[in-house]
Amino acid sequence: MSEGVKGLEVRLRQGAPIPLNAQLSCAPGEVLALVGPSGSGKSTILRAVAGLTRVTDGHVSSNGNLWYDTSERVNLPTRQRRVGFVFQSYALFPHLSALANVMEGLGALPPGSREGRAQELLELVRLGGLERRRPSQLSGGQQQRVALARALARDPEVLLLDEPFSAVDRVTRQRLHRELGQLRKQLRMPIVLVTHDLEEAVQLSDRMSILRRGETLQEGPTFEVLTHPASRNVARLIDQKNIFEARVTAQRPRAGKTQLEWEGNTIEASYRSEFAVGESVDWVIPTGSVILHRRVQPSRGVRENPVHGVIEDMVRLGETMLVTINVDGYSAHPLFMSISAHAAARNTLEAGERIGISLRCDDIHLMKARPADEDEQDQDGWPQNPAGG
Amino acid sequence: MVLPVRARGKGVMDWTAFLLSTKLAAWTVVLLLPTSIFIARHLAWRRYRGRVFVEAAMALPLVLPPTVLGYYLLVGMGKASPIGQAYETLFGAPLVFTFEGVLLASLIFNLPFAVQPIQRSFEAISGEVRDAAACCGMSPARILWRIELPLAWPGIMTAFVLVFVHTIGEFGVVLMVGGSIPGETRTAAIEIYDRVQAFDNAAAGAMSALLLVISLIAIVIANVATSKADIGRE
Amino acid sequence: MFSRRRLISGIVSISAFGLLSASRVSVASAAPKTPLVAAAASLRFALPEISRAFAKEAGFAPRLSFGSSGNLARQIRQGAPFELFLSADDALVVELFRGGRTADAGAPYALGRLVVFAPEGSPVKIDARLEGVKAALESGAIRRFAIANPEHAPYGRAAREVLQRSNLWDALASKLVFGENISQAAQFAVSGSCECALISQSLALAPGLADRGAYAMLPQDWHDPLRHRMVQLAGAGDGAQAFYAFLTGPTAQEIFTRHGFASPGQG
Repeated sequence: MSEGVKGLEVRLRQGAPIPLNAQLSCAPGEVLALVGPSGSGKSTILRAVAGLTRVTDGHVSSNGNLWYDTSERVNLPTRQRRVGFVFQSYALFPHLSALANVMEGLGALPPGSREGRAQELLELVRLGGLERRRPSQLSGGQQQRVALARALARDPEVLLLDEPFSAVDRVTRQRLHRELGQLRKQLRMPIVLVTHDLEEAVQLSDRMSILRRGETLQEGPTFEVLTHPASRNVARLIDQKNIFEARVTAQRPRAGKTQLEWEGNTIEASYRSEFAVGESVDWVIPTGSVILHRRVQPSRGVRENPVHGVIEDMVRLGETMLVTINVDGYSAHPLFMSISAHAAARNTLEAGERIGISLRCDDIHLMKARPADEDEQDQDGWPQNPAGG
Repeated sequence: MVLPVRARGKGVMDWTAFLLSTKLAAWTVVLLLPTSIFIARHLAWRRYRGRVFVEAAMALPLVLPPTVLGYYLLVGMGKASPIGQAYETLFGAPLVFTFEGVLLASLIFNLPFAVQPIQRSFEAISGEVRDAAACCGMSPARILWRIELPLAWPGIMTAFVLVFVHTIGEFGVVLMVGGSIPGETRTAAIEIYDRVQAFDNAAAGAMSALLLVISLIAIVIANVATSKADIGRE
Repeated sequence: MFSRRRLISGIVSISAFGLLSASRVSVASAAPKTPLVAAAASLRFALPEISRAFAKEAGFAPRLSFGSSGNLARQIRQGAPFELFLSADDALVVELFRGGRTADAGAPYALGRLVVFAPEGSPVKIDARLEGVKAALESGAIRRFAIANPEHAPYGRAAREVLQRSNLWDALASKLVFGENISQAAQFAVSGSCECALISQSLALAPGLADRGAYAMLPQDWHDPLRHRMVQLAGAGDGAQAFYAFLTGPTAQEIFTRHGFASPGQG
């Protein structure tokens, strides 16, 4: 690995007890979200970076400093790696006050200045005034703030957050998201956030790494990964609801389009040169890119990839409606559309109604068709291989 | 303080025996507690094959009859044993029938009383708390002192009291290994036995009552201390 | 936390006090003038009185440790730091002498007498030929009969001899209760848990027993004589030697007699 490289570099490989084949990199000031289902090894990776778990074969370096390298036989103990670690269960020292908890991380400072600095850190995480309290006297959200302050106390080279907000209620969690989002502007180290909450990942991270069974499936800028998943598996993991199979019928580079045939419908997507005519591809489209053909004042977009079907179900999620559509001629898997609640009301959508929708060409993303694992299902419980897809 | 050394009459409480019991219990605690903290910690956190046997061996004094313990200790420390002979070469006196011999026996038969409560306490400390301490840059020594010991304190307190009270009450092993030598190995428990054989029920009764009170007080102290510690943490 | 600290310091200081004061005590008793004496259990009441008489003259008193003679001899062989051994069985002394543990062959100091004892309220009639015991045995009135353990207590061995000679040993076998030494057997008897016991005369005369039952002396030729022999053990100090000398003197002998021992020459 080259010297003078800033940030965190991690490569881990292991067969047992937890299989791993992962790599990630995170630059200073960047937030990398590690996303994946439980058991995918996210926590193991984080612990390996901190030195709390030992992986059979790997490399961990921070700002060019080797922390762990099996070939060089380097394995710095945790306390010599300047990591800040925020645990899912906070792991605060229960017998010490919030202030004392933070002060334990300030061992590098001269004793006189520790209390002052601890106070500063607690103010930074908006916990001023509560520093004398014991963890048992603090709420979950407050405890997590203390944990964060303690993690920052060491002026760490890397900040690691292991599902830090999963034990906290939703309202508090959203508040903490906002605060962390603001705080990170002041933090200049690489931050790795392990989460299974995509919303959290989207809100907080610059880059995202998708993990499954210890294997890194895709890593890249968050928005890029979300809109351009590398495979059906990744698409499932990022909670894409509309995953289908189609066949390439024509390639039109000059028009910038690749033409597909999907269940008797002709679909056009942005041109992708790597697919051959006749090839089967997987494709996804975000639910928000499925556009309703307006009853009232139909717009010009009606022409773009039109599809027709019957509304099977409508679910209200806050200010959005998630509409389940049975597409004509394709009964294996519904199409999901999300539409603002007021638009749904304005168009008087109801279950059982026949509607037309458009699939936004630019938002259709094509992926290499890969065999899915037989023993897995996606979040909705749909089998991997939609029948007749 | 020099106690009058004269032949005892009946009904006179033998303070020598009580002080001897206290001395034995105090020395046992002082010597055993650091060792048992070390052992308990090791058992709490290391997993390895054969750990089951180590734990079982440690628990033996709890289940073995004191006479069996006494027998093996006598064999192991007696004049004919390597340990006994080494001791005698070094110090000119045999190990058995001395306070030192009884103290050694006491350390051994008190091992599970010391190790088990402390081990449970260490096990109760979540691994993540220790991980967090390491991430704070704390050295293992500092983690032990600042985090582990305070959190394991109730168990250590319990162990302290159990060992103390158990030693004061121990009879069979002390008698077998130490005999009944006044001022040396005749602890309060043995003294009571002796008084009964001398038909001195008055002294036996008085000493028994005092032992009962001491034990009760010790247990109350332990309970108060551990519950206060828990309250502090609640 | 505050009160916990107080508690800790309290406990520590108590323990420290215990340690300190106790170590002073053992220093005092380790003073060269307090010899350690191993004595047969039958001497339990005679010896302290002798010891007090000795202390009046000598200014110090020996430390006494009672037990069955066989047990004490075993402890001595295992290195127990006794300086004087007052055995109820001379054979034990001879053994120790042969084993090189003693300063010399020792000297007789008393002759023990075996008696049959029944506590108050016992259905057993006491007589010197054990006729009452036989009768009570036949009528089933005896549930428990106490003697000292014949394996290592001389009075127990004598008791067995007596019972065998009277053809009572087999009949009593299931009812025998063994005391670890003769004073424990006596204690069983006086506590009312036994209807009858064979104990030493010295114990039958003891306060706490004498007024709580009746006894009869058994014929001396019914058992091997209980020749009490004492000996100085190897390494015995001046104090032990002084006490040893006192034991053969008239004061001590008078006390022995008063406590139910015959003088040594009569064995």
